[in-house]
Amino acid sequence: MKKDWLEPINSYVKIELRGDDLESFINECLAQGIAIWNIERTGEGSVSACLYTKNMNEVRPLMKQTRCKFRVIEKNGLPFWAARMWKRNGLLLGLAGFFVVLFLLSNMVWNINVTGANPKTEYQLLKAAKDMGIKKGKFIFLLPNVRQLQQRLTNAMDNVTWIGVSLNGTTYNFQVVEKEIPKRKETSSPKHLVAKKDAVIYDMFVEKGQPVVSPHQFVYKGSLLVSGYIGKEGKTKLVPAKGIVWGETWYTTSVTVPLKTNFQTFTGNMVTQHKINLFGLNIPIWGWNDGEYKTQVVSKNETPLKFWKWSLPVSYIKKEIRETDGVKRVYTRSQAIQAGKAMAKKEVRKLLSHDAKIKGEKVLRQSVSNGKVNLSMHYQVIENIASEQPILIQQGD
Amino acid sequence: MAKWRQQVTKWLVEKLDLPADAMMDLPRITMIGQLHIYIENHRGVMAFSREELKLRLKQGHLVIKGQDFVIKTILPEEILLEGTIEGVYYDKST
Repeated sequence: MKKDWLEPINSYVKIELRGDDLESFINECLAQGIAIWNIERTGEGSVSACLYTKNMNEVRPLMKQTRCKFRVIEKNGLPFWAARMWKRNGLLLGLAGFFVVLFLLSNMVWNINVTGANPKTEYQLLKAAKDMGIKKGKFIFLLPNVRQLQQRLTNAMDNVTWIGVSLNGTTYNFQVVEKEIPKRKETSSPKHLVAKKDAVIYDMFVEKGQPVVSPHQFVYKGSLLVSGYIGKEGKTKLVPAKGIVWGETWYTTSVTVPLKTNFQTFTGNMVTQHKINLFGLNIPIWGWNDGEYKTQVVSKNETPLKFWKWSLPVSYIKKEIRETDGVKRVYTRSQAIQAGKAMAKKEVRKLLSHDAKIKGEKVLRQSVSNGKVNLSMHYQVIENIASEQPILIQQGD
Repeated sequence: MAKWRQQVTKWLVEKLDLPADAMMDLPRITMIGQLHIYIENHRGVMAFSREELKLRLKQGHLVIKGQDFVIKTILPEEILLEGTIEGVYYDKST
């Protein structure tokens, strides 16, 4: 009985035996321990029975001994079935090919959607994405992952505040938040120009309006610079005052520069490992070198493979191990001050509009404490201090 | 000698309540309605046709009569027969 469950795996044949003493053949099989089953009398001097093909060679001498002959009626079992299937190998290959194609297509980029961008930005974004390899028909597991893409795209696009990248099945979705550049509103309502901050007038260029201050004059924040009233006394007319008033303003910034700083830089040595994760088991494919650098940074990029709409328990892992180098930067006191000055200047620049000029700088205070240089800087800046202030006209005036 | 031994085993089976089939090499026959018959402790097939199966036993023969017999499984000491079983007979002759 125990052989029954092996029947489909082991190949067996149904044979027809012919002979005068078939019972003794059956008894010989039993004595030799050869499995024989489904014995059926088919006629006078003939029975049909099933035998394993692996036993056929042992059976033959027994047949000779008992003087019977056999003829194969049916071939059964997995090996025969496989052989029969192989005759139709076109079908088999087609089936395998279908699954391979379906698998490949499931891991391809099929669509790229951009939302929230105007056509120009969209075009730029698609171009930037194309440079990173995101094109229709690319394999997803060969592309950088979504987080890296998001970072790189946001960096690559300068007219965009933020790009959200998400991968939905085989579709990349880019959600774009564009930088809103406010439009300059052209107002023709009458207005004055007033000072934005305390300053000494340096130079002025008035297009429209009546200047009420002159160079080298000190003005407070909010004081009138260019009046919107023009014309002679009694025949005044209101105009929108327009012009640039250069004023000298002052900024102080303080910076702290440590004398010793540790930096981490990449030496450029790196190894890449390609692995396939199968049911949580990592199988390396390429790159067996673990790097073994003294200091290293490992970045891992894992892409799950998909079949149709299901994620397979298989994922492709790309691991990059980069050697890092600890660099220690030591400043002398004067170098630190130099660096501090540069930093402070940069900081001031950030506060200023691009047409402003730094006229002069002065060190207000410098001290070294706890291995740090503290620097207080004073800057004289020439900038446009004019700001528009509408003139309110009362109704019925 | 053999006779004497048989007497002893018979006595043991009766007095010590030991299983008779194991002690005395008797066939153990299990039938499921008319459909199956399962025979243990046989000593080989003597004749087999659609209507009759004759098995050799340690002593004598066992004859099973019926219709459409198929030996489903046959092992050195066991046999499973399928068909429509009509009768089981012991034949003492050798």
